[in-house]
Order: sequence, then structure tokens, then C-alpha cells
Amino acid sequence: MAAQTIDHAALLPLYLAAATAAVALFAGRAARAVLTAGLSASGAAALWLLAGPTRATFAVGERHSFVADDAAMGLAALFAGLTVLVAAVSGRRSAEYCFLLAVSAAGGITLAAGRDLITLLVAVETLTVPLYVLVAKPGRTGAEAGVTFLIASIASSATALMGAALLYAASGSVHLAGLGALADGHPGLAAAGTALLLGGLGFKLAAAPLHAWAPLVLERAPLPIAAYLASASKLGGAVAVIWVVHFGLAEGAGAAAGIVLAVLAVASIAVGNLGALAQRRTVGLLAWSGIAHAGYLLAPLGALSAAAGRDDAAGAASAALAYAVFFVLLEAGAFASLTAVRERDGGAIADLGGLWRTAPGAATVFLIAVIGLAGLPPALAGTFAKVAVLEWLASAAVWLAVVVVAGAVVGLAYYLRLARTVLLGRGAVSRRRFGLAVLAAGAALAAVSLAPQLVLEFTSLSR
Amino acid sequence: MGLILIAAVALPFAGAALTWWLRRSGIGVAAAALALVAVAVLPAGRDERWWHAVEFAWAPLIRLDFALAVDGVSWPLALLTALLGLLCCLHNARTGSPVLTALLLAVQGASTAVFLADNLVLFFIAFEAVLLPMWAVIHRYGDEATRRHAAGKFALFTVAGSLLMATGLFAAVADTGTAGLGDVIAAGGVSEPVSLAVFVLLAIGFAVKAPLWPLHSWLPDAHTAAPTVGSVLLAGVLLKLGTYGLIRVAGGIAPDGAAEAAPVIAALAAVGIIVAGLVCLAQPEIKRLIAYSSVAHMGFVVLAFATGTEAGVRAALFANLAHGLITPLLFFLAGALKTRTRTGQLAELGGLRTAAPALAGMLGFAALASLGLPGLAGFWGEAFTVYAAADRGGAWIALAAIAALGAFLTAAYLLRMLKHVSHGPQAAAVEGIPGATAGELAVWSPLAAAVLALGLAPGPLLDLLATGVL
Repeated sequence: MAAQTIDHAALLPLYLAAATAAVALFAGRAARAVLTAGLSASGAAALWLLAGPTRATFAVGERHSFVADDAAMGLAALFAGLTVLVAAVSGRRSAEYCFLLAVSAAGGITLAAGRDLITLLVAVETLTVPLYVLVAKPGRTGAEAGVTFLIASIASSATALMGAALLYAASGSVHLAGLGALADGHPGLAAAGTALLLGGLGFKLAAAPLHAWAPLVLERAPLPIAAYLASASKLGGAVAVIWVVHFGLAEGAGAAAGIVLAVLAVASIAVGNLGALAQRRTVGLLAWSGIAHAGYLLAPLGALSAAAGRDDAAGAASAALAYAVFFVLLEAGAFASLTAVRERDGGAIADLGGLWRTAPGAATVFLIAVIGLAGLPPALAGTFAKVAVLEWLASAAVWLAVVVVAGAVVGLAYYLRLARTVLLGRGAVSRRRFGLAVLAAGAALAAVSLAPQLVLEFTSLSR
Repeated sequence: MGLILIAAVALPFAGAALTWWLRRSGIGVAAAALALVAVAVLPAGRDERWWHAVEFAWAPLIRLDFALAVDGVSWPLALLTALLGLLCCLHNARTGSPVLTALLLAVQGASTAVFLADNLVLFFIAFEAVLLPMWAVIHRYGDEATRRHAAGKFALFTVAGSLLMATGLFAAVADTGTAGLGDVIAAGGVSEPVSLAVFVLLAIGFAVKAPLWPLHSWLPDAHTAAPTVGSVLLAGVLLKLGTYGLIRVAGGIAPDGAAEAAPVIAALAAVGIIVAGLVCLAQPEIKRLIAYSSVAHMGFVVLAFATGTEAGVRAALFANLAHGLITPLLFFLAGALKTRTRTGQLAELGGLRTAAPALAGMLGFAALASLGLPGLAGFWGEAFTVYAAADRGGAWIALAAIAALGAFLTAAYLLRMLKHVSHGPQAAAVEGIPGATAGELAVWSPLAAAVLALGLAPGPLLDLLATGVL
């Protein structure tokens, strides 16, 4: 029996990220430099693969478990970049801290390229497990955050695994491409599996009803880790959901998945926006509004059943993925600049009063990110995200578009309040740190605002 | 000429950035003047239908192209925008903050982009881009007591409208497979089954901006709270975004839906004319009165559009432009009056005729133009509106009668305003106020001259509007 051939070039970004983790653990004080260099190399390798032809490996017959296509490699580079950004705004940390971050990034890269249920779920766990340690600051509130995250995460992993098992039972395949057989399997089994798997993965995305951990954990975690949770980790959840739906469920269980996702989307938009309206703390506001954004992201997938049989059916997943990428870039910009000006935690919104005058650089990036999250020009990254989602919804499910619009209107109320405080308020006592990291985040936002094709091209999926 | 088209949009933005950066209002005035020149030379060397057009791919995957085009419908509005932008910058350069000048230029640039956009996605983005600078104008420089509330209300109404409009636009894009505005219009709009849905979504969006009763309630608050230049741009430019969108975009890409929804739109417009007129009759504050009169005037525009006839659409476009000249003039004058007397309450004013004759004279002129005195710009649009509605016969005659009654109401409330402000004995607030300065007269006179010119010779503009792509 011949051994399976492995295309090591396709795995290069993953090898580099894993090696970075191993070296960082023993690098002592140089750990952060190792992490930055290693993950930059990993991201560069991903971009190199993005430029070249699509590679795939770990094949069973025609089905591959690891596919380094454009979307996967673009996302891998994004995971690596976000992790480097988080490390850059973390300040001086121990080698273990860098090791855990790099492991998490490796999980993200695997997730981006994973095309079977087992690889996906293992990758999600690899992305999440290091965070159990990282979210817990010393002290009572830190422990509370750690325990909350641990329990919520384990419960949702179990739910997702149960769903995956049911789908395997119904279709006889763990490959996403094999889930098309669900159409011929037991419909009840398929529907239950779909609901459990998507509900469980929705936890990572902090989509309602598994959202309640997010504001609590983000508020109590160290700020750089909150930035990671809100950007890279959230991107992981989004990618997992989109991959499962796009490559797997759309064909065999599109109707069931569409209903589940539409419910998740509407619930998230409602809960997230109402929660954010009541927030008086910056991180709390960003966390609750992030729940609403998870809803906007899921909305195109919720219109999946309307897309059945259309030749642009992949548009739903493309719109969701484009939204996810624009959104995490904006979140990363907001959290990175917030970390740069705040000492310990995000603090109350009022504490940012007049930041515009005391720390103009960080305040500019923060404002662009907040206005982008509201979806308004001149922060065009957010506008493009909204256009991508609304374009799809307008052609598939106008009622969901109206829900998204209603959510965005409520969202504007609290985002404007935040922007107004930063611009006109008084009394911000701020530090100026991490200038380079904030500048990089701002430059990335400016780049995708002027050239949205950078994002739209690699997030454009096909069957 | 493509470069000039881009310059007309880019110059205000560049001026805004430089003014903000260097904190010099003079730069803003220069940029606005250059932008006016750029727009003014556009008719040179024009083609049929679209005079000039430029197009660059920006983000093809979301069907976004940087496509600008100009024709007989959009050019007068772009010119009006550039003129009002320059006048506002001039007005503000004497007294106001450079940051306000920068914000005004940003509003001007984004509005010009809306009028010139030939791509529906670009149209939406430009429409959204107007929101934040205008919000900042009201919120930062408005009346101390009401600005926060008014700015928030303005932002929420506008964004709700523009996102619904976006949904309609994208539904049209999905249906026709192209995002080119001219292409969609040339293809006869969207297919019949979705036409009504698309039109309703678009019409709600534009009706918020226009504003059409009952979606107008943000307008009086915003106008009352905004600084003078903010009110001028609101009335002269932002409301025009709504009516332009309704006539060109909603009517152009969903003509079947427009015809189907016309009776509802027309009825709302007629109700708006009467309601706004009655509110104005009882209105004690001068800026709020002018704001409500805008609702009535926009009601005429929408009613004329709803008739769907060629005469009606031309009347709508003409009345639109006339309102864009007259109401900004009224707001300039009301602003000048309020800064002098520190009150806008009609009951506390009086005798302006003797205290500041030039100011009172201009106010009288503008009020007469607004109430539709023959020979001034306001007359033609409203007369043609009544004519176009009556011409359709049946129930439309009733609407024409309501509109005519509305015109009487307009005369009544504007004359009432003049009675309170200009005539009678001098009130305490008016005593000893300085007259109009040369600088102020220089800002007002281009508007007054244009009102007179359009009133005496409406023909050339009507012919120009007839060449537009609709």
C-alpha cells in the first residue's frame, strides 16, 4: 500500500506558524521578536501561495482535507497579521504568552484551509484552547473571565461535535464536499445535526443565543487579548460557519441551514444592538455591537434557501466572508488604538472624552474604525462591507435586508455617541504607546478603503 | 472634459482637507470658487444626452465603478450646489471657524458626487458621505439648546432612508445585471414584477431626504438648530438630493412602479402642502417657518413628478431649482436677522423696514419669490405643477385644486411673516441694529439675480431640462 503523498508547499504557512510557536516557547526575552518574524514569514508564505496556483493535500479520492486556495491563503495571511498586531500591542510579555498566541494563529491557519469536519473542529479548538489561559488575568475578575470562557467554550464545542457526529451519521462523510449526500439521508438527523453544528460554531462568532460570554470576557480580559478575541478569534468562528455552510450544507441541507442561520442573524442583530445601546463602557459597547455585526455577517447565509439553483449561489458565502474580513479589520483597528491609549482596561466611554486632542494619531484610527463599524463614509471599509451584504440580500431576501437596515440605524445611535465623545468630550488622560502598530492598523484600513479589491478578490468564492 | 468632471467633485474635497489641515478659510473659498468654475464650463463641447462621462473600475466585484456623467438634469443642480457652496464659504470666511468651512466643502463635494454619479453603488456611497459632515455641522455649530437632539434625529432619519434606498438600488442592480444609472434608464428600468417593490424602497429613502410628509419631522428641528450656512446647504442642496433621486433614480429605474405608486405619492404630497401651510400659518419662529415652507415647496415638486407627464417632470425639476435658490436666500436673511436681533420669534420682531431697509427689502423680495409672484422664479414651477396635475383629469383635478389652495396658504403665511417682521412699529429687539453690509449683499445678490433671471426668462432652463436623460 502506497503512503499518501503530502504537498508540503501547501502546508508551508502552517509549518512556519507551528515552528514559530515551538521556538517562541524557548526564546526567552526574544519571544516577541521570534513571533513577529515567524508569523510574518508564515503570512508571506500564504501570500506566495495566494499568488500561485491552488494547491491541495491530504486527499481521500477526489476530496481534500487541506486546500490552500485563494480564500484560505488570504485568510491565513490575515490570521498571521492580526496575531502579529496583537503581539505588538501587548507590550513586554513572557515567552509562554507568545507561544500561546502563535499556537492560536496556527489553529486559525489550519481552519482557513480545512475542508473536513474533523480538521475544522480540531482547528477551532487549537485556535480557542490557548485563549483559556490568555483571557485570565490574575485576580478575581480575571478568574471569572477565564472560567466563563472555559465553560461556554467547552459547552459549545460539545454541541458542535454532536452536530458533526449527527451529520456524519446522516451522510456517511466527514468531508464537507460529501455532505451533499445529506439530501438523501434521514432529514430529521440532517436538520438536527445542522442546527447543533451551526449553533455550536456560532459561539466562536458570539452570535445569539450563545453570545452572553463575549461582553463579560472581553471586558475582563487583558485589552490585547480582547483585541484578539474580537478580531482573529471572531474571524475563526466566521470562517468555520461559512466553510461548513458553503462547502458542505448548502448543497444537501441548504433549507435547514438557511433557517437556522436566519434565526441566528435576526436574534444577534436585535440582541447586540439593544445591548450596545445600554453600554456605558467602551469595550462593552464594542463587544455588544460585535454581536450585532455577527448577525449582519450571518444574514447573507440566512438567505441561502432563496439562492438555491441560482448560478451565483456562491454569492451568499462571498458576501459573508467579505463582511467578516472588513469587520475584523475594523475591530482590530478599534481595539489596537484603544489598547494604545488605555493603561489597564477599556474604561468608560466618557474616559475617552477629548482623545482627539490628547492623542490625535490613535484617536484618528479609533474614529475611522468606529465610523467604519457604523458603515459610513469616509471610512469606506465599513461601507463596502455593508454594500456587499446588502447587494446580496436585496437580490435574495429583502426582508432580511430591512432587518439589517434597522440594526444599522440603531447602531448609528451608539457609534455616533462614541465618535462624539472622542471628538468633543473632555478629560481624557491618555498614554501614547505602540505608535507603529496603530499606524499599521490605520494603514491597513486605509488600503482596503481605497482598494477594496484587495479583500473582495480573495473572499470571492466559487463552487 | 472628463478631468473637469472629476475636478468638480475632487476640488471641494481637496479644499476641505487643506482648510482643515491649515486652518485657513481662504483656501476653502478658493477651492469652492475653482469648483464653481469647473462646473460652469461643463456645457462647453457637449454631446447629446450625456454631455461628458468618465469611468474607472474601482471594485468590480461589488459593481462599483467610479463613473461620473453630466446632462441637462444634473448640471443645473451641480451648478446650484457649487454656487451655494461658494456663497456659504464666503459667508463663513468672514466670521466662522475654518473647520466649519471644511465641513461645508465636504458636504458640497459629496453632494456634487451624488448629482454626477453614473453608477448606482457610487451614488449610494456619495449619498451616505453627505451624512457625517452635515451631522457635524449641526452638532458642533448649531444652536446651543437643540443641536444635539436635532443632529441625532437628522442622522438617524437619513441613514434609515439611505439604507432602504440602497436596498432598492441593489435590488435593481440584481434585476438588471448592471449598476450603470444611464444603462438602467436606457434599458427601460427594472422588470415589471419587481418594479413596484424597488420603487417603494427607493421612494421611502428619497422621501425622507426630500422630505415628503409624513417623513419630514427631522427637517424643522435640523433647520432650526443648524447654523445659517448649515440651513442654506440643507435647504439648497440636501433636499435636492431627495428630489433628484426621486425623479432621476427612482422614476428612471422603476418607471412601472412609479406609475403604479403615483396616486399615493401625489396624495401624500398634496397633504404635505396643506399641512405644512397650516403649520406655517401658526408658526411663531422665523427659521422654523421657512423650514416648514420647504416641506410645502417640496410637496409641489413631488406632486409634479407624480403626474408622470413630461410637463409635470419638467415642472418638478424647475420648481426644485427655484426652491434651491429662494429658500437659501431666505435662510441667509433669517440668519442675518437673528444674529442682529438675537431672536427669531415673530412676536418680538417688527419695523425692520425702517431699522434696516436693505435687509427688509431683500426679505420682502425673497418672500415674494417664495410665494410664487409671477416674474420671479418661484412662480413657474408651481404654476406648471397645478397645470400638469389638472391636465391629467379625474381625481388629479382635486389634487390640483388642493395644490392651488396650498399656493394661497403660502402667500398667506409669507405675508404674515412680512407683516410681523418688516412692518409695524419698531420692536425693541430691532431698534438700532446695523444695516446690511456690503459683504452680506455680495453673498445675497447672486441668488437674488438668479431668482429674477429665472423668473423673467424660464425658457432656456426648461429647454435644458428637456434634454436630460430621464
